[in-house]
Amino acid sequence: MKLSHNWLQHYIKFKLAPEQLSEQLTMLGLEVESYEHLGEKYKGFVVGQVLEVQKHPNAEKLSVCRVNIGKEVLQIVCGAPNVAAGQKVAVGLSGATVPKNQHDPNGKPFTLSHVKLRGVDSFGMICSEYELDLGPDKDGILVLDRKAKIGRSLSSYLGLDDVAYEIGITPNRPDLLSHFGVAREIGILTGKQPSLPKVKLRESTVSVAKHFSVKVEDKVNCPRFAVRVIRNVKIGPSPEWLQHALRAAGLRPRNNVVDVTNYVMLECGQPMHAFDYAQLRGSKIIVRQAKAGTSFRTLDGKEHTLPEGAVMVCDGVREVSIAGVMGGENSEISDTTTDVVLESAYWNPSSIRRTAKALGITSDAAYRFERGADPHATPYALDRAAELILQTAGGELLKGRIDIYPKKINERIVPLRTSRCNRILGTSLSSSEIVLCLKKLGIAKGKGSADKNFFRVPTFRVDIEREIDLIEEVARVFGYNNIESKTVAAIDLNHPFEKQILADRICDTLVGFGYQEALTISIQSEETSRLTGASPVVLMNPLGKEMSTMRTSLIPGLLEAAARNQSFGNTDLRLFEIGHVFRVDSEPQMVGNIREDERVCLFLSGKNLPRHWKSDSQELTLYDLKGEVADLLDACGLDSWRYIYYSTSETLAENPIFVEINGTTAGFLGKVKGEVCKRFGFEQEAFVAELTLSALKSDKKKKYTALPKFPKVRRDVAFVVDSNVTSEIMERCMKESGSGLLQEVELFDMYEGENLPKGKKSLAFTLVLQSQEKTLVDHEIDTEVRRIVTRVERELGAELRSS
Amino acid sequence: MQTKIAQLRQQVEAEIGSVTTEDQLEAFRIKFLARKGLVASLFDDLKNVPAPEKPMAGKYLNELRQRTQMLFDEKAASLKSTPHVSAQLDPTLPGRRKFLGTKHPLMQTLDEIKSIFVGMGFGIADGPEIEDDWHNFSALNFPPDHPARDMQDTFFVDRNILLRTHTSPVQIRVMENNTPPIRTIMPGRVYRNEAVSARSLCNFYQVEGLAVDVGITFSELKGTLLSFARRFYGKDIKYRFRPSFFPFTEPSAEMDITCFICRGKGCRMCKQSGWLEILGCGMVDPNVFTSVGYDPEKYTGYAFGMGIERTAALLYGVDDIRLFYENDVRFLRQF
Repeated sequence: MKLSHNWLQHYIKFKLAPEQLSEQLTMLGLEVESYEHLGEKYKGFVVGQVLEVQKHPNAEKLSVCRVNIGKEVLQIVCGAPNVAAGQKVAVGLSGATVPKNQHDPNGKPFTLSHVKLRGVDSFGMICSEYELDLGPDKDGILVLDRKAKIGRSLSSYLGLDDVAYEIGITPNRPDLLSHFGVAREIGILTGKQPSLPKVKLRESTVSVAKHFSVKVEDKVNCPRFAVRVIRNVKIGPSPEWLQHALRAAGLRPRNNVVDVTNYVMLECGQPMHAFDYAQLRGSKIIVRQAKAGTSFRTLDGKEHTLPEGAVMVCDGVREVSIAGVMGGENSEISDTTTDVVLESAYWNPSSIRRTAKALGITSDAAYRFERGADPHATPYALDRAAELILQTAGGELLKGRIDIYPKKINERIVPLRTSRCNRILGTSLSSSEIVLCLKKLGIAKGKGSADKNFFRVPTFRVDIEREIDLIEEVARVFGYNNIESKTVAAIDLNHPFEKQILADRICDTLVGFGYQEALTISIQSEETSRLTGASPVVLMNPLGKEMSTMRTSLIPGLLEAAARNQSFGNTDLRLFEIGHVFRVDSEPQMVGNIREDERVCLFLSGKNLPRHWKSDSQELTLYDLKGEVADLLDACGLDSWRYIYYSTSETLAENPIFVEINGTTAGFLGKVKGEVCKRFGFEQEAFVAELTLSALKSDKKKKYTALPKFPKVRRDVAFVVDSNVTSEIMERCMKESGSGLLQEVELFDMYEGENLPKGKKSLAFTLVLQSQEKTLVDHEIDTEVRRIVTRVERELGAELRSS
Repeated sequence: MQTKIAQLRQQVEAEIGSVTTEDQLEAFRIKFLARKGLVASLFDDLKNVPAPEKPMAGKYLNELRQRTQMLFDEKAASLKSTPHVSAQLDPTLPGRRKFLGTKHPLMQTLDEIKSIFVGMGFGIADGPEIEDDWHNFSALNFPPDHPARDMQDTFFVDRNILLRTHTSPVQIRVMENNTPPIRTIMPGRVYRNEAVSARSLCNFYQVEGLAVDVGITFSELKGTLLSFARRFYGKDIKYRFRPSFFPFTEPSAEMDITCFICRGKGCRMCKQSGWLEILGCGMVDPNVFTSVGYDPEKYTGYAFGMGIERTAALLYGVDDIRLFYENDVRFLRQF
């Protein structure tokens, strides 16, 4: 919200400089985001009067003027056709910066200095509206008001000797959405109480009740509704002071009546509305709920379809305003308005919010009402607005106000225990210190006992309902930085972060393998999310078609990242991401039927090693990935898993290999299908593995086993088998041979082709044998190897290859 | 004498040229420069030189000694910087490198934050990224139809289910599933319906903290966060806590530290204020305790939260947070 320094001074006198005020308000919770000296850019500009104008001796279009600027009379060369003696003009003095240069295509500012123009000295510049950045007119100089005081600074003449603050007001403090509201907080700083101007009204003898009536049907959403009627006003521009005030607060002046309603809102926080009396049929107002589907045009010219339950201000026939949100075009103040109905009301905040939200309207009024206005401010604002309209637009104020307020809203009585306050804050404040803090906020102590006091909370403080709310106020006034900082040693035993350890382990292992950790956006197009075949979670209000669903896999994100890297010439890629994936499940889950899993995805493509002079780097293959996955599972503390080669439910990879751990599928690895790579613009072979973290959790406690005491022996054997016998089957066959001595089987060679019959291949293994009891001797080793070989020959039709 | 000196000088010049190893250099030193070396022995001879010639001979001899020492020093320096090249081994050839893996800068930042809080006795918890209204809003004291809900632009899946807008729903889950004392941090990914720009993204990381026990005070909140900030940003930082508003804490505060880029003078990063906002915090609102069935009279607690992207961007001087999600390896390798 924008606030004017000068305007604040109307309610409370304070000597704080803008910088101090900003700092101190910020420390009270009113975050001053910035402030601006409005007149800054008119430094060095003054009001002058042209005394005489003579033709320039050497230039057709120029004139030489003598201009009185109060202290002295300057000679100024001027090119404007409209310059004339007697005019009051804006004079830029040497050293001043002209905000816009009308001879520059971009209007860049420039600084004035004493110059000679065609041989004649010029000691300043008479400026146009455009040059002063006050409007579009470039054709001539700006002529000021006849009454402007010679020598006065231009910024003062324009009402810009002011500072505008931009303050972020939190949504719990609607009472701060006005100058008076902020003045109250300044009161905390200065120890003075601010006050609103006293209203003095001159009413006519004609009673308002004779000419107007109000009926509130929806009493729940409209607890208070008040009007006054002013006849025979003259609509026109507002006086200078009012325009200046509104501009400083960031509003554009319109006409005197509308400006007054805005001024009063910015003064005391109560939004107002003015109707054209002539447009209110039946000279009455009825407040009631709209029929859903009714269409209504607001004063900004937009057509709306009213939602169920929208509260409307109606005349005898039709809707004339969306209550507390925005007035209607059909009854707005126009240049021809003569009689005005002024509304000041208090609306139920949630009703206003529902309506404004349903219609997508944001307005200053709705902003305040939905946060909560002050029901006690209604009559003051109404009278104040009436007073200012009489002042600025004239007219006759009918006697009395109509004020429908059936159920009085009282000040809240909130208890506060001194002990509780200290227990929350860690302070040792006394009861009287607390009372003093709250008194600065206008919160008075009522009844009380030793520890517990009751406080009367003014109605404008909608945020204070409970003891804790008062405690916050005590802390605020006492000063957060006056509360001592204390550290406490304690250990949480509820969250031994096992999941964290697993994720960290995976991350560290992969980084050790040379992977870069990537993080990709979890929201993607529905087309991409559907690639996995899972049913994606679709957003109701997406940013666009490309960002409309939640990812079902981490693979597409990494493919996109890979493609981007490839386009920058980085083609050797090892990437991984740990993140959540989502899908709609048929079963109910923790949240709705959304299944959310944390996964790790490995992506690799390109060469296995950087180029080196001594040895070649090689293209990565599926076996590089398969090995790294096995190492990763090892690192997770898993000692048994199974690969499943035949499932085909994976849609992103060809011939995927599934990893099964303890009977559940943990994920898969494989080569990304060419068409999938292409879809993401990646033009290389790529391999991915995607595993669910929860499946990688090992329940096994780490436990020591005694180290073997006797040496290992190694024997190599090679078999010729049918091509369709896999290495895994052969390994299993050897391991299941019942040999207690066989510790490991390592495949070290595979060969197909020349010297072998068609349909056959050769596989060579190293058998590692070891006994727990003794050092094996040759004949024991030979017997054992023979036993294993015989089994493989018998079971798999293999033939031992003579070496 | 002068002839002797000249001869020795020639010898020195010739022999230094053929020195190629440390060993040869050492032999050279012993031969010429040692206490009983050839140069020293000429000094011994000096006493036999006739008096008139002595000054001149002494001068030449000193020059010889200096020259020899200089040649020795030069050679020693050059031997140190010249590799031993032989037919078998050129040690200047490049070694075999690997592709270096790196952890994502956001995760590195998060790790650092986590380790500080873990060091102060906090546990780590997590929760789902897709949440229901209860955990994300209602239980956190955001009443329905309240403007506070506008503070966070929300992606909805349906009327009740949404992408969590902060990590605070994990507070609710932690409290629902545990009894105090609780001291835990909750890192994770959150979502806001905001157009992607250099300063905002539709998803980002936060870390939340929660402490609930008998006797926890605002004073302890300040102490804990101050310890964190001093450890993370440096022990000499200046700081301030100023009042703010979050529906789920009261009193609520924001913590600022002096801008470490301009040291409080005012710069673009701190919007000329000299202060950087680093986190939001406050005492757990009694309504939140009531939502999870804790007795607000018995327990008090504090909560805090901070954004990781902003923290990492400040720390590393990254001026466009989109870089964190583009995964350009040239970027990732810088951390």
